[in-house]
Amino acid sequence: MSSVQGQAIFRDVPEPAPKRPNIGQRMWASRADYLYVAPAIVVMLIVIAYPIYYTIELSFFNTPASLSLANKQFNGLDNYVTILSSPIFWKVTWQTVVWTVLSTILAFLLGLGCALALHREFAGRAMLRGLLLIPWVVSAVAASYVWKWLYHSDFGAIGALVVQLGLSDKPINFVDNTTTALYSLIVVNVWKEFSFAMIMLMAGLQTVPDTLLRAAQVDGASPWQRFWHVTFPHLRGVSTVTVLLLVVQNFNSFIIPFIMTGGGPVGSTQIWITHIYELAFLRQRWGVGAAYAVLLFIIMMTLGYFYVRALTRGDDQRAGA
Amino acid sequence: MSDFNRRAGAGRSVAHRVARFTVAATLAASLMGGTVLAQTVDLSQWSPEYVKSIAGTRSFDAAKDCGLVTPNDYTGKVSYWYTGPFEADPQISHDQDKAFWEAFKAAYPNIETDVQSITYNELLDKFRTALLGNAAPMVVRLQILGGVEFAAKGYLQPITPEYAGFKTEDFWPGALKSVTWEGQTYGLPTNNETMGFIWNAKIFADAGLDPENPPATWDDVVAYSKQIKDKLGIAGYGLVAKQNAGNTPFRFMPQLWAYGGGALDEAAESPTYKEVWINSDASKRALQAAYQMYVVDKSVPVSALTNTQAENQAPFIANQLAMVISHPAEYARMRDLASQATGADKAVADEVVANMRYGLLPAGPDGKRAVVFGGSNIHVVKPEFVEGGKVDEPAVKALICMWNSPEWSTKLAWVGSNPGNINGFLTEAMKERLDTIPFLDVTTSMLPNGIPFPVIPEAPEIMNIIVPDMMQNALTGNMTVDQAAEDAAQKIQAIIGGGGGI
Repeated sequence: MSSVQGQAIFRDVPEPAPKRPNIGQRMWASRADYLYVAPAIVVMLIVIAYPIYYTIELSFFNTPASLSLANKQFNGLDNYVTILSSPIFWKVTWQTVVWTVLSTILAFLLGLGCALALHREFAGRAMLRGLLLIPWVVSAVAASYVWKWLYHSDFGAIGALVVQLGLSDKPINFVDNTTTALYSLIVVNVWKEFSFAMIMLMAGLQTVPDTLLRAAQVDGASPWQRFWHVTFPHLRGVSTVTVLLLVVQNFNSFIIPFIMTGGGPVGSTQIWITHIYELAFLRQRWGVGAAYAVLLFIIMMTLGYFYVRALTRGDDQRAGA
Repeated sequence: MSDFNRRAGAGRSVAHRVARFTVAATLAASLMGGTVLAQTVDLSQWSPEYVKSIAGTRSFDAAKDCGLVTPNDYTGKVSYWYTGPFEADPQISHDQDKAFWEAFKAAYPNIETDVQSITYNELLDKFRTALLGNAAPMVVRLQILGGVEFAAKGYLQPITPEYAGFKTEDFWPGALKSVTWEGQTYGLPTNNETMGFIWNAKIFADAGLDPENPPATWDDVVAYSKQIKDKLGIAGYGLVAKQNAGNTPFRFMPQLWAYGGGALDEAAESPTYKEVWINSDASKRALQAAYQMYVVDKSVPVSALTNTQAENQAPFIANQLAMVISHPAEYARMRDLASQATGADKAVADEVVANMRYGLLPAGPDGKRAVVFGGSNIHVVKPEFVEGGKVDEPAVKALICMWNSPEWSTKLAWVGSNPGNINGFLTEAMKERLDTIPFLDVTTSMLPNGIPFPVIPEAPEIMNIIVPDMMQNALTGNMTVDQAAEDAAQKIQAIIGGGGGI
């Protein structure tokens, strides 16, 4: 607001915005709260922080099978060089990327499709929703063995059906074939986890205002236009969280590849987590396995950072308002 | 009594105890070397008929015999980890385990036992962790190749058979190799087992083969497998080639050794474990035989690349697979599967069980027959790694003597194994086992042909990773047979050289 006095023009100087306390000040202000979470923090330090610290330390040592860990030999960054210079590492990395990206995209799309289909009312909806949850609740170990028999190259049910329908004169070789094995396992992984995406997105669909959808319909929008311009924007937040969680889950997915193929044939279904297990526990290469695990940890922490950001983005905005 | 006399009296008492113990130990050694536990089994005659003929011909008194090693009134404590029977194990295993501990208590009422039975898959990791925390037990029984890692890392006490009152001749030479590291023995074999060659006599007959005789050589296995596939359209031999699976080397290495090959020189009379044999002409011939069956003849399951023996059981009981290699317990497993079959499947399964036959593993081109020496060994941990920092040596000796006695060595191996102490084959318990466990005489007769995997800490990596990788490289066409063998040789050379990539 300005005021005029004679020839001079005075403008009111806006008051400076209140200075936001820094993190240390905020922690000090909440110091009493930390007492309540101290027991949990102590437990976390013991069962999470110390193993992480020890793994990082072990990654800088050579641990031959003939030497006890007490006599491990410091070798600096040699383990990391060994990993990053190995062609097998890059092959496994590529397979991990394929596994993670395809599993995430397909599980998300299938989950989205099921969520949209189950969002509308129809007879038997509750029962169908329950049935579609079965893959998620079935134990991964049991599911892996069942799928192993479904896929069996000699006696599998899928192969037998294909032969009976006249689509092929012999059963299909799904997992004993280096070309198709990884994609066959991805199908199993998608089957196992699409229900999770479905549940998350079904919750998200509850937040889409019905009035907007009806208004769009009245305005002549097609189903696709209603989905793309009304529904999907409202699902952006939950979709981001779902995709991030799927990525983290798939990166760490151990059971299906390990049980169904053991990483074979010829390493064609080996992904990071199974490779780390093989190095550490089957080959006793603790130092190299630890270095590999540290690399995986860095990637997981990065993804975790984005996950927390996506989860708390709304909180920060609300706090600032 | 004066202080001097009391001290002198105490000193004399200690001296008497030491002297008594020394006399007892000397007497025990002389008796062991004489008639009581002296080996009276003639290994040169070993055959299914010989095994049956010697069973039940001698009896032993474990408590009395071991009382000469550690007096039966000795007071002490022993801690022990092992893999005992669990829920899925037959009742007789539980009964024998319980009976042993009762017998030990009766023989040594003043020795306190602190015993833990840990599952097979967990024992090694728990033992490793305990060692790191200096909280290990005094005595541990590990699977046959489990101990070399700890011997190499300096955790185990060097002990010989004489430590517990036995003689070297009381144990299989192949089994003693498995407890030897750099020329020193670090344990005693408690039990040993081998596998046999199993076939379906009816499938053989239908394919025009002699139903009562197995293939004599590995080349015959290839030929039989092809004939069965050509005539009947079903898989002949149950090849196992899964990656990261212990089943694979247990079935492929006998073939490799029979041809005259090996991973290292483990099949040699005096192996050094420093020579790489995986790329020898003999090894390549063995790999070529597997290639012939899988790629050229297509006479083995396509799923061999992801199969373990467990996956071979269903097609075998369904009359879709003719030949497998497995333990004597496989017969009981097939009977179990047949009892669960229903309808038309039941008739098929019952017929398969009735037509199951066991025989010796095939020989190589030069007549050499080989099988993997399986089993367990018992070890003593060094005091500095034991909880409490002490090992009660007499109590430890008492336990090992009882556990490895002919009687208990046999009874504790009842279901799926054989006594590590060769004299166990003379016992009444052995006779009863032979009478009640079908085909045990056949797998038992393979024991002289047993070869342990290379007794080096790197053996699990070589056997469970490198060897299956080599097979898969060849069978998928990723490499030729030659290239796959050379690739494996390079990797093994790097591993035993202290390096090796990922």
